[in-house]
Amino acid sequence: MATNTKRFRSLSARLTVQFALLFAVAMLGVSAALSTFIAGSASRQVESQLQSSGAVYDRLWQQRVRELQGAAQLLSRDYGFRAAVATGDTATMESALGNAAARLRVKTAFIISLDGSVHGLSDLRLAKGAETLWDPLDSGRLQGVAMIGGAPRQLVAAPVMAPNLLGWVVFAADLDEREMRSLERLSAIPLNAGVVVHDGASWKATAGAMQFDAAAGRALESHLKSRDAFEMRVDNEPSITLAKPLETLLPGNEVLLILAYPKAEALAGARKLQLALGLMTLVGLLLAAFATWRAAGRITEPLARLDHAAGRLASGEHVKVHVRGEDELARLATTFNEMSDRIEERERRITQLAFNDVLTGLPNRTMFQQQLEHVYRTASAGDSLVALHCLDLDQFKVINDTLGHPAGDALLIEAGRRIRDVARGHFVARLGGDEFVVLQTVGGDRNAIDRLAENLIEAISRPLNIDGNELMPSTSVGIAIAPADGPDGGTLLRNADLALYRAKEAGRGTFAFFEESLNRRAQDRRRLETDLRLALERGEFELFYQPLFDLESNRIGSFEALIRWNHPERGLVSPIEFIAVAEETGIIVPMGAWALQEACRQASQWPDDIRVAVNVSPVQFQRGGLNETIMQALALSRLQPNRLEIEITESVFLDGSDQILKLLHSLRSIGVRVALDDFGTGYSSLSYLQSFPFDKIKIDRSFIENILTRPGAAAIVAAITELANALGMETTAEGVEDNAQLAELRSRGCSSVQGFLFAKPMQVREVEKLFSEDRAARSVA
Amino acid sequence: MLALAAAQASAAPLTVRVVDSNGRPVNDAVVSLRSGPASRPVPTGNYSVSQKDMQFHPFVLVVPVGAKVSFPNLDPTRHHVYSFSPAKQFELKLFARDQSRSVTFDKPGVVALGCNIHDAMTAYLFVTDNQWTAKTGPNGIVRFADAPNSAGKVSVWHPYLRAKANVVERQLVASERNASFTVALRSPPMAMSDGY
Repeated sequence: MATNTKRFRSLSARLTVQFALLFAVAMLGVSAALSTFIAGSASRQVESQLQSSGAVYDRLWQQRVRELQGAAQLLSRDYGFRAAVATGDTATMESALGNAAARLRVKTAFIISLDGSVHGLSDLRLAKGAETLWDPLDSGRLQGVAMIGGAPRQLVAAPVMAPNLLGWVVFAADLDEREMRSLERLSAIPLNAGVVVHDGASWKATAGAMQFDAAAGRALESHLKSRDAFEMRVDNEPSITLAKPLETLLPGNEVLLILAYPKAEALAGARKLQLALGLMTLVGLLLAAFATWRAAGRITEPLARLDHAAGRLASGEHVKVHVRGEDELARLATTFNEMSDRIEERERRITQLAFNDVLTGLPNRTMFQQQLEHVYRTASAGDSLVALHCLDLDQFKVINDTLGHPAGDALLIEAGRRIRDVARGHFVARLGGDEFVVLQTVGGDRNAIDRLAENLIEAISRPLNIDGNELMPSTSVGIAIAPADGPDGGTLLRNADLALYRAKEAGRGTFAFFEESLNRRAQDRRRLETDLRLALERGEFELFYQPLFDLESNRIGSFEALIRWNHPERGLVSPIEFIAVAEETGIIVPMGAWALQEACRQASQWPDDIRVAVNVSPVQFQRGGLNETIMQALALSRLQPNRLEIEITESVFLDGSDQILKLLHSLRSIGVRVALDDFGTGYSSLSYLQSFPFDKIKIDRSFIENILTRPGAAAIVAAITELANALGMETTAEGVEDNAQLAELRSRGCSSVQGFLFAKPMQVREVEKLFSEDRAARSVA
Repeated sequence: MLALAAAQASAAPLTVRVVDSNGRPVNDAVVSLRSGPASRPVPTGNYSVSQKDMQFHPFVLVVPVGAKVSFPNLDPTRHHVYSFSPAKQFELKLFARDQSRSVTFDKPGVVALGCNIHDAMTAYLFVTDNQWTAKTGPNGIVRFADAPNSAGKVSVWHPYLRAKANVVERQLVASERNASFTVALRSPPMAMSDGY
């Protein structure tokens, strides 16, 4: 069956064919055996019918013989007849013979006398033939078949004794057509009866109109000895034939009675049976094949379903098969289902990990990007809009840093939940950090976008308690609308981000739509970033110095180094434009280092009582390496450390790190002065003043501007000055522009002033010119 | 047997022996000798063929021409004796017991006797005009004591003899005094039996 295994792709087909073949062999075997049996039985039956027909013929023959014999004897013993024969009374004799023949319904009756003469036959040919009968009659044979006058006749004779033998009375019955027909009528089966004689050369039919050819004659010859039926062609039909030799009176006369049964008729019953058997076999075969197919189907159907399901499972579908029964297949199906479930669960987990943010359970950036792509693929056709809301939590970094990551995480989770609640029906994702997005599908009503943004802001800004800390979170929302605000998802997200920055700039807790101008600003800024990175290498930065006028000594006590950027195309660029960018991008670190070195180098050329003040960004503190930078700058310039003053803002302390205080203390220990810049804005926490002994406090220019107009401002300036004096710190007032302000500051006890009243920031060579004039003035004085 | 005492100048006994094909002696065969002139026998005594026990007795009787033969019925049944033979045709209806009728046979020849009532009854009268005629006994022998001592012709007749007219004959040389005939016999006709 190895070939079958290869040939069949279906188990069911293989089972069907194998079992059907088995059935077929068995059924065909039985059928063939039965068919042979039927044929044999039919043949035997036909033969037996033929034999019994032959026996019937025998009985008829004997009966006829007896009848004729009786008649012949009766006649032969009639005294008058005997007298007529004995006396040669021919007329009487012949009339008596005719009378008897008519009574017996035989055509021919005659007398053969002892001397061989024949009486009673007018036909000379017959008479001549009759003469040949003397010998057998004389030898005592009184009945049999003989060819007389060219035709076979059944002869019965009786001797005429008067009292000695005078001759024989002979009755002759023709074995003719009529005789054969009556014989056929007597038979139970539709026989074809006939008589054949052997004329010395071949067999010839003489009665019964039977025709047969030479081959049939040879068949007849070869079967003469046996008494069995045999097959030969009679009347051009294959027939089952019985040949009965008839007793003959004359030597050389061989006469056979042929009983033929046309085979077609003889075996018709058997043929029908065989046909029925064949049909039954065929039907049985079909039934067996069908039943096998069904049975095979019952076995293989669950296998096929499993096969199909396994295929679908392999192609990634989650499939289950129906379990029926408790057999091996059912267990296999159960196992398959469990396997499928586990695979699905794993896939779900993997998908979740891949596409969902673990913390909030929201879709992650990957999934968001897919969703965005999907939006772009499908949104172009319709007239619906998709609004991308970009959110982040204001001050999240501060909360995370001050309350710890667990608190930050709790805030993120809550924010996610609130966003999801508000933006129900829209796609919400967390892109990372405190960044969230909402993809809003908008119908005709564009106000829905504003409403959702407002709702988001409102929801986020509800107070929240985390670990006993009452938080007041807030958010800003930037909105970009697809497809107008970006030809692709990436652009759209970037533009929403730009809108978010704009919203933040406009003030926290607001939302802003993307506008093209935002994009231009963003482009400007990107160019600024690029230029900034190149500026340091190209030496486009320059330090300007603004003098700080010492009110006690009435002279310039120090210069604050202010960085300027000589942009090759734009000319001089204000620090307001680029410092923030430098801080955000980290360029501030090398830029700050350069400024420190440059300031120290130039200041080292100045008179010994002139200090230089350099602004240091909180970023420089955070990134580390500041200490080394300052040490290096001092070492390279050989500037006395007490001539260097670094200006820091309160934001330096925002991350609350002790490291920064340590650094400041160590700088101060070597003589570097530390000034607190822009005091009065921001937190202006007095605890900073307590925690670090600043050398100087610089009062923010906003107070100086208003010092004459707002009494509060003057009071604050006075308070700061007094506080600083109390703490032993100097004060510098920034942005002093006129003498009235100067007079007021002076009266408040401010240590030094800085502003346009005295000098704008100037180039280093102007500073040096100032010193040379001063030296000239001093030498004059 | 006819004993004719005709003295002949030259006479010598002649013995004829008749046997069948199996060599058994044949009874009731009639032997005749023709040799030169022969005297006509003269009927002497009574000749009779009686019917007793459904049989004729004797079976074969040789009588001279002119003999008168009586047919006594000794049976309690009737008999209807007949003959269709050319030598003598007659019929006698013998009704009563011991009834006897006589018939004179005046031509030579064989007269076959039958009974129309009892087919099995058969007898033969051999009517002859030849003095040298006799029938064999159970030993199959006929002896002519004074037969002429010359050549002659001997014929043998028997009702069952298979030959034309139931006769075979042979020429004898003069010296031949013992003749032997072997004859073929039919089996006795059982004419009335069905099986025949």
